[in-house]
Amino acid sequence: MTVSVMVVDDHPMWREGVARDLQERGFEIVATAGDAASAVRIAKAVRPNVVLMDLNLGELSGVDATLMITSELPDTRVLVLSASGEHDDVLQAVKAGASGYLVKSASSEELVEAVTRTAAGDAVFTAGLAGLVLGEYRRMAAAPDDSEDKPQLTDRETEVLRLVAKGLTARQIANRLVISHRTVENHVQSTLRKLQLHNRVELARYAIEHGLDAEPEAEK
Amino acid sequence: MPKEPAERVTKVIDDPATPLWRGTIALRIVTFLFAAANVIANQSGYIQPDLAWITLGVMALWSVFTSRAYSSTWGRRWPLVLVDLALTCGLMSLSPLIMSDHQLLTLNVPLITTIWACVPAVALGALGGPTAGFAGGLTVGLSTYLSKGVPSLDLLRDVVLLAGAGMVVGMASATARRSAVLLAQALRAEAATAERERLARSIHDSVLQVLARVRKRGMEVGGEAAELAKLAGEQEVALRNLVAAAPTDSTVDGEIDLRPGLQLLATPRIQVSTPATQVMFPATAAGELTSLVREALSNVDKHAGEDARAWVLLEDLGEEIVLSVRDDGPGIPEGRIASAAAEGRMGIEKSIKGRVESLGGTLELQTGPGEGTEWEVRVFRKGAAR
Repeated sequence: MTVSVMVVDDHPMWREGVARDLQERGFEIVATAGDAASAVRIAKAVRPNVVLMDLNLGELSGVDATLMITSELPDTRVLVLSASGEHDDVLQAVKAGASGYLVKSASSEELVEAVTRTAAGDAVFTAGLAGLVLGEYRRMAAAPDDSEDKPQLTDRETEVLRLVAKGLTARQIANRLVISHRTVENHVQSTLRKLQLHNRVELARYAIEHGLDAEPEAEK
Repeated sequence: MPKEPAERVTKVIDDPATPLWRGTIALRIVTFLFAAANVIANQSGYIQPDLAWITLGVMALWSVFTSRAYSSTWGRRWPLVLVDLALTCGLMSLSPLIMSDHQLLTLNVPLITTIWACVPAVALGALGGPTAGFAGGLTVGLSTYLSKGVPSLDLLRDVVLLAGAGMVVGMASATARRSAVLLAQALRAEAATAERERLARSIHDSVLQVLARVRKRGMEVGGEAAELAKLAGEQEVALRNLVAAAPTDSTVDGEIDLRPGLQLLATPRIQVSTPATQVMFPATAAGELTSLVREALSNVDKHAGEDARAWVLLEDLGEEIVLSVRDDGPGIPEGRIASAAAEGRMGIEKSIKGRVESLGGTLELQTGPGEGTEWEVRVFRKGAAR
């Protein structure tokens, strides 16, 4: 089955370029969008397997779009394709439900592999993202508020994330820790899932506290 | 939008003690009215009522003049405030000529200047801080003693009140100035950040997209175009990091964020990973750590070959900072580091080990043929402050 992809980027030249690249490699480009609002609207209509999401979209950000898409379309995965410098945005997007992150300077091969793996349900971790996620867990652990449901990394997960952040591939990590390749993938995924779950809980709690839990009017 | 904070900055810098000067002026007017009432009430007993009225007239003129002078910055200067103090003490010293000894010593009638005399002490505090205010109050108190000629408990109370008031106003003015400086700093940083974000957005929307596209297409076309693509790619990464790196404004206690300095080291072959939040560290030690990483990376270039990639990871464990530098080159054969040191080529030995030791940190090196090289530096936060 071909993987259906939607490309969201506010820059037409980049958007068309990436779409063409992926088309040439056998992916089906079902839609493109230049801003977050239309990205959410179109994604709901075409239900792509993978959304390639830029974060720098103007008013409504790629983070917001990621949250809306992943919460309404459980079968659609979002892969963030963004500039290497946007640290905090990338972290927010991943917490909002994106299943991976790739820098725009990645090669076409890396992009193809990342989209394939995202479609298969794997988390796509760059070293940069691993560094951000590690930092986020440590920030939460050090934060003064002591809610009991703060997510924590197991020792093994920390070990795996650190190795990812140091540039080791999943296979190299499996060799070094003498565990299976699949186990490495599971550890990595679980670090993301815990973060996303925590984020959802926090958002829901915030919404209830502020009386925002009424049915959202996404389309006006 | 970025214009607004800049305007606020100049406004704040104007003179943070302005409210204190306004208070000084109000005090002068109120105390003058009191002095006038005092002359009216006691003039029948004066030996020289004419001189009393003349003195009161001078006080009136001086009050009007200083009120105007102190309401703008040109009058808030040492010469004028000192003249104010001298004139006040001078007028006060006319009291024995105006008043009868009976009034002065037995009836305890206020001196001709009465509480009007406290104003220079307050003005000195507003201008020069607690010490100047204290000294001003003490001077006025001493002048009161000289005018009365005999010490008394009442006199002592006046001196304490005068010196104390001058000092308190001085402390208030010093605090106001300090907070104004901090506020101006914060506003400047905010303006700089806003401007930087605006630049970053516009660069992201234009130059970076084009560079990224050139790199991608060039690679696909190959040949000479690939050469150009490589150059475009290098510039792309450099520019991205430049716009991403936050301004390295140091905090009041001399700490800076470690991340921007490290992020500037990133190239297409070097990945720098950091937390999303600031990693604050003493400025000098942070500079040492950054140049240490640079050294390790140049070592990668020299020994691991042109195609080797490298990863830098910064971790903040609260009590300590962990910096890792790893490459996927062939690794350093056993004994190479030691022999290099023996030959006096000290590159790694001195630069890296020495720096880590001077920061009170530990260094771990993991390497082996075919395994790449990995440096892990751990520095304690407290130890680094030495």
